[in-house]
Amino acid sequence: MASETQLTREEFDDLAQRLGVTGEPAYLDELYAQVRGVFIGTATIREIDVSAVEPDMAFIPRIN
Amino acid sequence: MNTLEICYMSAGNLSKLIQKKEVSPVEIIDAHLSRIDATEPFLNSFITLLADASRSAARQAEKDIQAGRYKGPLHGIPIGLKDLYNTGGVRTTSGSKIFDTFVPTEDCTVAAKFQQAGAILLGKLNMHPFAYGPTGENLDYGHMHNPWNPDMLTGGSSGGSGSATAAGQCTITTGSDTGGSIRIPAALCGIVGLKPTYGLVSRHGLTPLSWSLDHPGPMTRTVEDAAITMNVIAGYDSRDVASAKVDIPDYTSALTRNVKGLKIGVPKEYFEAPLDPQVKKAVEDAISLLESMGAEIKEVSFPMYNQSQAISSTILMAEATAYHRDLLQSDGQQIYEPVRQRLEAGLFISAADYLRAQQARTLLDQECRQLLNDVDLLAGPTEPVTAPEILSSRVMAGEQEIGVVGALTQYTRPYNINGFPAISVPCGFSDAGMPIGLQLAGRPFDELTVLRAAHAYEQATDWHTRRPPL
Repeated sequence: MASETQLTREEFDDLAQRLGVTGEPAYLDELYAQVRGVFIGTATIREIDVSAVEPDMAFIPRIN
Repeated sequence: MNTLEICYMSAGNLSKLIQKKEVSPVEIIDAHLSRIDATEPFLNSFITLLADASRSAARQAEKDIQAGRYKGPLHGIPIGLKDLYNTGGVRTTSGSKIFDTFVPTEDCTVAAKFQQAGAILLGKLNMHPFAYGPTGENLDYGHMHNPWNPDMLTGGSSGGSGSATAAGQCTITTGSDTGGSIRIPAALCGIVGLKPTYGLVSRHGLTPLSWSLDHPGPMTRTVEDAAITMNVIAGYDSRDVASAKVDIPDYTSALTRNVKGLKIGVPKEYFEAPLDPQVKKAVEDAISLLESMGAEIKEVSFPMYNQSQAISSTILMAEATAYHRDLLQSDGQQIYEPVRQRLEAGLFISAADYLRAQQARTLLDQECRQLLNDVDLLAGPTEPVTAPEILSSRVMAGEQEIGVVGALTQYTRPYNINGFPAISVPCGFSDAGMPIGLQLAGRPFDELTVLRAAHAYEQATDWHTRRPPL
């Protein structure tokens, strides 16, 4: 999905349609505000230098 | 002994009276059912009340104890489980009418352990739908109300557990904590809430919110009761893929009332965030008291605290949406709208951003471990504010107005990210009479030190003895 810091309303509407998200205009307005908040959060994380570490979710095969 | 005394007695003290046969499980359950009857119209703590089943279990407990088959300190003690803990034969709604008639066929591991220990289940407790919110609001089963002022939030998501414990409706309750959902209602309702180390208490049979962040744990009125409960519910469970194979100590051995020699770090970043001055003073006073009792206090720096909201919410939203995606498609319109909105917002998170958040999680974990090489515990406020009004979206933290959801989780999320144990213990009241919580976090699987400091502080103060005006 989108990975840009800024998300225009047009981009949001396009993504929402692709994701099958529907609702009344007021609901979508609120969802747009929420998704913009999500994008601010992911942008914050993208500013962290994570080049030296792996995701903390190692999968260890079980013996049985 | 009058009914109210029974209802506000700790499990530690009740169990001594039960053993000496000075009070019977039937008396205890009857007292609690009367208390629930009197207070429930103001609180709405329960989704399902098991009056008949609990009376019947109490009669059986009484017979067993009379016959010398005493099972231990939880035998005959009334408990409540957050309504996402599966209970065989008893409906488990996860706080949503979509599951209003869902009746699991078997107990979750924690419920089974309580049953084996002889605890008596009074009912299933109200919660934020699917545990997806820190306020304790729920349109399906009604909002939860704070016993110290019913116009105010309990906090969530384990809001019914917070109100039931604080109001003497149950002696012990359970919560689940993904971004703070045990510690938030504990702080706002004036009780003790322990989020154990990730993997220490089995998640088997609990409705997930976020697999890698979910922690079940106890909510009690005393630190001793949290330790007694941990003695029953902690331990390896092969049915939980994240369950840890570690030795389980006697958690009550931590209750020494002694903090001499403990090193406690206070992250300076906690006090640079928006913070109500009354909360700040109560927490500073609590830390000073610990120092006067012999703890060594040291200011430390925890820079990644400032990224913890972003890391936690990215992981949580992606995992919650993954778990609930089918339900979102089949019954989305029936999901409490703020929850549905969060679930749909999670669809917009890319796999790359989710994995980057997991990488950042590793860095936060490393930073916190480094800090805890130098100190034994980290201390600070559990919440930046006292309980806001129900359905409010903004709250004042000092002179700064901030969003309620972000505010309630600002200090709790770091320890969901790294899975370290953290407790909230009452440390004061605002001028308006609302409770304030002190958060203490420790090294992984070092619940003993967390409980030791919390208990010593609790026993040096009287906050835990105060009762809400109900």
